[in-house]
Amino acid sequence: MAKEIWVFSEKPALLAELIANALQLAKADGASVAAVVVGNQQVIDQAFAQGAQKVYALGEKAADVLLDDFIPTIISLTKSKTPALIIIGATRQGKAVAGRLSAALDASTITDAKYFNQDSGGIEVTHLIFGGGAIRIEKANTATVVMTQGSSIVDALPPNASAKGEVESVPFVQPAWKATLVERKQKPPASVNLAVAKKIVCVGRGIAKKEDLSMAFDLAGILEGEVAATRPLTEGLDWLPRERYIGVSGATVKPDLYLSMGVSGQAQHTVGITDSRVIVAIDKDKEAPIFPQADYCIVGDLYQVVPALITALKARK
Amino acid sequence: MNIIVCYKLIPDSEDMVIKPDGSISLDQAEQVISEYDLLAVEAGLQLVEKNGGKLMALSVGTDKLLNSKSKKDILSRGPDELYLVTDASLANADTSQTAKTLVAAIKKMGDCDLVLFGEGSGDLYFQQVGLQVGELLGLPTFNAISKIDVADGKLTVERSLEDEIDVYSISLPAALAVTTDINVPRLPSMKEILKASKKPVVEWSLQDLTITGDGKPRVDVLAVRAPKSADRKRIKIEGSPEDVAQTLIGYLSKEGVL
Repeated sequence: MAKEIWVFSEKPALLAELIANALQLAKADGASVAAVVVGNQQVIDQAFAQGAQKVYALGEKAADVLLDDFIPTIISLTKSKTPALIIIGATRQGKAVAGRLSAALDASTITDAKYFNQDSGGIEVTHLIFGGGAIRIEKANTATVVMTQGSSIVDALPPNASAKGEVESVPFVQPAWKATLVERKQKPPASVNLAVAKKIVCVGRGIAKKEDLSMAFDLAGILEGEVAATRPLTEGLDWLPRERYIGVSGATVKPDLYLSMGVSGQAQHTVGITDSRVIVAIDKDKEAPIFPQADYCIVGDLYQVVPALITALKARK
Repeated sequence: MNIIVCYKLIPDSEDMVIKPDGSISLDQAEQVISEYDLLAVEAGLQLVEKNGGKLMALSVGTDKLLNSKSKKDILSRGPDELYLVTDASLANADTSQTAKTLVAAIKKMGDCDLVLFGEGSGDLYFQQVGLQVGELLGLPTFNAISKIDVADGKLTVERSLEDEIDVYSISLPAALAVTTDINVPRLPSMKEILKASKKPVVEWSLQDLTITGDGKPRVDVLAVRAPKSADRKRIKIEGSPEDVAQTLIGYLSKEGVL
């Protein structure tokens, strides 16, 4: 059997990106790309439209069935076909699939892989460690390599609606245990999508109290941007919802303008802002690690600088 | 109920030294309990306080785990007993080696109703070990757990996914990895710190356990280095707040980002 690279994600947009990456990697050694799909014909067609050459169709998921219930089927399929590589979308459920699959395969997943680099001996990837403080180049040595890939690592290809390919139906393997879904609560729709914001005002621990956040919202309002925060403000202090958190376990952003106020610039946060075009930092500590990573450095009291900036920007309009 | 909470001892990243060639050194770094694991400890402690039973902490790694300060640190946070598996070969263990060692230790520890993990380790952050352990033990296994309740021998948990929160009923025993916002771990009280050194500690070597497989890593590490930082302009803007504001606006409009 020709070598196969598999992709799996329950999120259609992410699946399209995984397919694009897999096609790129497959080019090097003539492998083909197959998508493992839990879903209906529409989802299968979408996988083909995005470039998959084959689909392993696991069937549709009833509303009260968990994606996790399909993991034994995925394990059994992977064991019987031994794909060279399986790239799984790095969502929380995707990571559960990856972890349980790699245990069953006696492999070890490389999660949140970036910068896939193929050579004759396999695929090297970059994986951030210490909250972005360092990077490791890693290569798995197992017959099937398992990796997870997050959003926006590789761009999806433009869809080709007429593309078709082989569909192989895969029988469902009954899991040894099941959780009962008691309730599914939709999270309130995210009020903000930092990943696509063009301008971001980010607040850190230099803000003394919750009420002072209004300054950040005023500034973001004039700039027509979004307010973001470091982890302590969203977890622990709970001043802002978690979706506004930039950092290693939160959002990664690439705005034209990132302006921080009272952000010290720990690696756990700055790992999320390195792709910003212009970085402005305002902080009273001249030794703060944010400054060497900024284009415009303002050492000063944000309680004086930010109001002055708001006034000056208003006057300009 | 008997709960095992797994934790990892990691080098404090604050002590990381970046050498001129871009490589990093952690030789002098202080060893600390991985921050996310403290939330799993707290979650286990709250369950035991409410439902009775005991909380056992478990870690595998090098002999750095045997340091009395580290042992006292974990025990002062609430666990009743501590189990440690140490071997020099675990210094750079991958998730597969770590999981297999934990599984062997858990089997040797005897009956347990729940195995808890943090979301991921503060150093490598693979977020995989809990899932692998659960799968290898054949237990109901979930990550992203943001709430845990026990009633009538069953768990009711909330799982926080990207767009939704699922509520599951799960039979025991089970393996769960908790989120980074499930709770705020309490600080050890003086009383707990004093009690810590009197709690039982069981120390095993790899030879004391029956570990499956060849003991080899599944992922090879080719290089570790500091990230290249983008070249930034690092232009200092000084003066009165009003002057600073005007100067910044000048720069930003020239950049075309206003």
